[in-house]
Amino acid sequence: MFEHSLTFDSPGYLLFLAVIPLMWWLGYRSLAGLGRWRRWAALTLRTLVALLIIFALADVQYQRRSDRLSVIYLLDQSLSIPGEQREAMLDYVKASLENNRNTARNDRYAVVVFGRDAEVEVPLVDVNIPIGRVESLLDPEYSDVGTAIQRAQAIFPHDAARRIVLVTDGNQNLGDAYREARAATDAGTSLWVVPVMIAPRSEVAVEKVDLPSGVRRGQPFEMRVVLSNDDQSTEGSGSGGKPVRGKLIITRSAGDRTEIVTEDTVEIPPGKRVFSISEKIDQPDFYTYTARFSPENTADDGMTQNNRATAFSHVRGKGHVLLIENWETPGGFDTMANRLREKDIEVTLRGSDRLFTSLAELQRYDAVILGNVSRSSGSDADNVASFSDDQIEMLVRNTRELGCGLVMIGGPDTYGAGGWNGTELEKAMPVDFQIKSAKVVPVGALVLMMHAGEMPDSNYWQKRISVESIKLLGNRDFCGMVQWNGSDQWLWGQSKGGLLRTGPNRKMMLARVDRMAIGDMPAFDGAMAMAAKGFAGLPPGEVSVKHMIIISDGDPTPPKNSTIQALIKQKAKVTTVAVRSHGALGSKTMQDIAKRTGGKYYAVSSAKALPKIYQKEARRVSRPLVYEPKPPVQPYEVTQHDILKGIDITTIPPIKGYVLTTIKENPLVEVILRAPKPEMEKNATVLASWTYGAGRSVALTTDAGALWTDEWTAWDGYDKLFSQAVRWAMRPTGDTGNYNVATDVRDGKTQIIVTALDAQEEFLNDQSMSATVVTPDRKPLPVRIEQTAPGRYVGEFDSEEAGSYLVVVNPGPGKAPIRTGVNIGYSAEYRDTETNLTLLESLADLQAGDGPVGELLEGGLNDVSTSSDDGSAPNPFRFDLPPAVANQSIWPWLVVLGSCLFWSDIFIRRVQLNLEWLKPVWLKVTNFVLRRQVEAPVPETMSRLRSRKQEVGKQIASRQASTRFEEPESEQAADKSATAASTGPQATEAVLKPAAAKPQAMGQDSKEDEGISYTERLLKAKKQVWRDRDQDKDNR
Amino acid sequence: MNSKCPTGPASQSKRSCAIWALALVIVGLGGCIQSEREPGTGRVEAVWGKQGISAGDLQKPRAAAIDSAGNLYLVDMTARIQVYDPEGNFLRGWKTPASINGRPSGLSFDHQGRLLVADTHYFQVLKYTPDGELLEEQTLGGTKGEAHGEFGFVTDAVEDSQGNLYVGEYGTNDRIQKFSPEGEFLLQWGGHGEEMGQFRRPQNLTVQIGTPEGDRIWVVDACNHRVQAFDTKGELLTSWGTEGSKPGELYYPYDLVLDDEGNLYICEYGNHRVQKFTPEGKSLGIWGTHGRESGQLNNPWALALDQKGRLFVVDSNNHRVQRIRF
Repeated sequence: MFEHSLTFDSPGYLLFLAVIPLMWWLGYRSLAGLGRWRRWAALTLRTLVALLIIFALADVQYQRRSDRLSVIYLLDQSLSIPGEQREAMLDYVKASLENNRNTARNDRYAVVVFGRDAEVEVPLVDVNIPIGRVESLLDPEYSDVGTAIQRAQAIFPHDAARRIVLVTDGNQNLGDAYREARAATDAGTSLWVVPVMIAPRSEVAVEKVDLPSGVRRGQPFEMRVVLSNDDQSTEGSGSGGKPVRGKLIITRSAGDRTEIVTEDTVEIPPGKRVFSISEKIDQPDFYTYTARFSPENTADDGMTQNNRATAFSHVRGKGHVLLIENWETPGGFDTMANRLREKDIEVTLRGSDRLFTSLAELQRYDAVILGNVSRSSGSDADNVASFSDDQIEMLVRNTRELGCGLVMIGGPDTYGAGGWNGTELEKAMPVDFQIKSAKVVPVGALVLMMHAGEMPDSNYWQKRISVESIKLLGNRDFCGMVQWNGSDQWLWGQSKGGLLRTGPNRKMMLARVDRMAIGDMPAFDGAMAMAAKGFAGLPPGEVSVKHMIIISDGDPTPPKNSTIQALIKQKAKVTTVAVRSHGALGSKTMQDIAKRTGGKYYAVSSAKALPKIYQKEARRVSRPLVYEPKPPVQPYEVTQHDILKGIDITTIPPIKGYVLTTIKENPLVEVILRAPKPEMEKNATVLASWTYGAGRSVALTTDAGALWTDEWTAWDGYDKLFSQAVRWAMRPTGDTGNYNVATDVRDGKTQIIVTALDAQEEFLNDQSMSATVVTPDRKPLPVRIEQTAPGRYVGEFDSEEAGSYLVVVNPGPGKAPIRTGVNIGYSAEYRDTETNLTLLESLADLQAGDGPVGELLEGGLNDVSTSSDDGSAPNPFRFDLPPAVANQSIWPWLVVLGSCLFWSDIFIRRVQLNLEWLKPVWLKVTNFVLRRQVEAPVPETMSRLRSRKQEVGKQIASRQASTRFEEPESEQAADKSATAASTGPQATEAVLKPAAAKPQAMGQDSKEDEGISYTERLLKAKKQVWRDRDQDKDNR
Repeated sequence: MNSKCPTGPASQSKRSCAIWALALVIVGLGGCIQSEREPGTGRVEAVWGKQGISAGDLQKPRAAAIDSAGNLYLVDMTARIQVYDPEGNFLRGWKTPASINGRPSGLSFDHQGRLLVADTHYFQVLKYTPDGELLEEQTLGGTKGEAHGEFGFVTDAVEDSQGNLYVGEYGTNDRIQKFSPEGEFLLQWGGHGEEMGQFRRPQNLTVQIGTPEGDRIWVVDACNHRVQAFDTKGELLTSWGTEGSKPGELYYPYDLVLDDEGNLYICEYGNHRVQKFTPEGKSLGIWGTHGRESGQLNNPWALALDQKGRLFVVDSNNHRVQRIRF
């Protein structure tokens, strides 16, 4: 299956191999002193080191060639393909795998489904996984073949040949399929195409609703609805198509009101038909007109998704504001709403459980007021309501891009105390919701305990709620997370008690959460005891709120009573969130925990409720942001502002509380009112305002005549303060009658056409105009508007995606902006009614690297499915591709190995091992193995004695021998010796005896002769003998 | 179709790998690095199983039992009961009737060769033939509650020499209930707590047959980190074990088996190991460390001992089984 070899990326370095013989020549001589074996060993090691380094320099690659094949099926699940065809794709894949996959070769496969995005339905595997139906969630209203090919390329392994089998109708409306296919095939991937042949069918669509945007109150105008009938079912029959009968209903909506404008049975002939309706608007508002067509015979219409179109029109009137209040405390803002109405401001009051769902819905309002409303509210999992991230973004875009006013009125559930920290809304307000000063506000501590492993997608949800909680905490709040990972463990700060300050550690915490893997916790006790200990270890006196949130399926063993008591002693409240709890039994434990510690219990049936619950619960920790001075304090004026015009601010009644914030350091921000306490001025803002993008926002941190400002309702300035604040924030409401804005949608683009007239109905030329478009995904899109004819100005923007495009045209400095909108009712997916074979053929013609070109499976999906069942269809697992070659750079390992060998070389040269101990060991071993008789070892003391005796004997013998050459002690002795010598051998012996008998004298001689060497003494003695002989001769 | 070695940051990371490896070699050769902890006194004979949902694959296996033929029965987090031969070859498998509330966590065989399944989150004990046929009429329990014959989270069911059934449970009432061979409630003992004779999650039961006092019921009291033994009337005979990770200590003991000499093998979920004890609680040896390699464990849930003295360790979070000899 695999072949292995080595290759070099930089083979030029192999020339260094020529150095090795030279190294040998030098080394052989210089290492001569080491002895034979050590020299050879050192040379061998050196050679290996040199080889490894040269190979590393040459960037040696471990190469593996494989004849395995990986096939990825890309299945187009977009709605341009009929449902039965989409299901048939899976049948084709199953049959293809069953009949063709080479299991002996371990061929792998994957299934990717795509629409707008691509999802892996079956990961790359080498086993048969049952494929029932498509489980992935996709946006089927678009086709992006290019992204799907990209995704497949990312999945392919390197160690196998690659083939993509693309099953599609080729009707892409996003991305560039050809470009991605070419990139894939250039990289060696083979591309086969199975076309989905779409049968010709008749198709009726409402193409557009056309109406002027700047309609004046009471002025009649004409609305046009364009319908098309594209009947292909009878093409070729010579009839030219048949008309389609059905009902056309046109409705008009403003806010919650919807009225039917017209409802008629109409007949649409082949081609296009335009219906004109005369219309008049009496009430100022932002209107949405919808035209809907229902065919009498559903068989006459292939797709129903394109039978609806909408358009907007705006009729200006007096100011209109939306006041959103907490749904749990309805009526809290009735007084304020009534006072505003008295000031000629139209007010729509709405609870936070019935929030807007689209940006278009907000266009009828000139300002939005958030009245003491928290981000999440509700008492249990079923009724928790919350502003989603999308809704918050809509509010912000509505102000920044579309110029709507935004007013936030305080109370115990707003700003940082309302869980709005870190949201987009905070960016839109003139104050930040976090407090950085330690002197001003105490902090909270939150411990999260995670045990929801049996919930579907548990890891995703647990990560998501962790992230929500961490984001909501203030910088100085403490946060810890405990989970089971082999044992109960803190996710961070293990050595610091588990709870760390959120501010400096927020990024680290989020990163750890992203990596966490949560195990099955056997008991609540360990984690809860850790939490209690963690709370106890926090800086004393600093933390005012201690809170723990447990999410679990409820089956861990209940905590010990002592652990609960420890938490109670710490004044820590424990909220429990039961997810898929194992019946009432699992939830009872969790209910008990919450009840005993004063926390809250939630039973969650849908994981989607979890983020709302966590937003609400994490908010408990941020409660310290509420400041209630005693005695109440009177705010003072900081800046003269239009909001305070005509109000004697010295008469303003004292306030009993407000929410602490931090004023933004921005020159556009104006602090209007401030409280004298606390002393940190930047945190004591009561009223502030600023201009945010195209709109304005106002922040009032105290409430509007409720708990903290109950004396305000009787105050003379109340009506003026609030009406002026709201009016200051509202969109300009000037007359825009001289400007008429129209839009025209064509081929994925929308034109904005502005006709400008002056008071005399003459064309206005050379005007500086601009426009901003908010796209359906709420992204701002600046549009350039240029004059194209007298009084006519045109701009254009892309509008491929279905949804509402809100347009704000700014006619020039000092003029009120004009708003309009365009609705793209359906995606281009519903415009395509036949297979794009041209594209598919061009994809199949691409050559896979050095391999063959792809294949277009003639006959399309239906034919291929049938032939796959009987095994006669082309085999996508056919191995006709060059084998896959996977290279892996292994130079780092060579460097490591070379370093180790270099050590060995040094060791061998520098260290001489004494191996003599091996001999006795070897003898012992052989004696033992061969069962030889060995003499009993001599006792150590005896051996020492013998050795000493031998040594002494040797010394004596040595001395005796040395005395033979010893010089006589005196002349007399010398004479005696000479005489003895002359008398023969007997005499010589006699001379020696006295010497032996006088050891002391000898000892003395030795001392005297100390420093004279043995050879010198011998020479001296010989000379003496020769001298004596000469004397004897002379004497004779 | 060449795949090049990555360059840039990836290549740099390889280089830093090389430097670290070199540093480790130097430190290692210098003798300054502590060698990896020895896995203990057991010897691994076989390891099998991989994570997956295909037949034979495992998804956090949680309980094990061995039949008279030496085949191993496992139940995992997909509520599948799968049967393997002692070498790990998959033989057959089936699923419990319902699992949306939670999965079984106890398996054992009775003397008639029926497989007893502690269907934890359905408050019942199921009985199967070895071939996977559910004996519906013999199902015990099914009603949650604290009355006689009702159950909380059922952890295990075992049979004594007389055919009586002992069922362990936890939740709000951690207790052992005893039933006659006909399924009639006879007696109960225990209760939630830390006192002697009480339990905090009696995770597994084992019957020791043939002791001088008669049958002895051993219970691993998981969240009290101890082992308790009772006679068939529920009288406490012995209790030992303290929380910890040193030899002789226990941390979330989840399963227990007995060998022919009466020694106990206990798998510790929290310590990722198997420990052998005398009946008096003296530790005789430890096997296993935390990890993924062969001979290492990650939250082991269960044990099974076959007639040849081979110990099967259900290495739950590694989705596999390791067969060892102590």
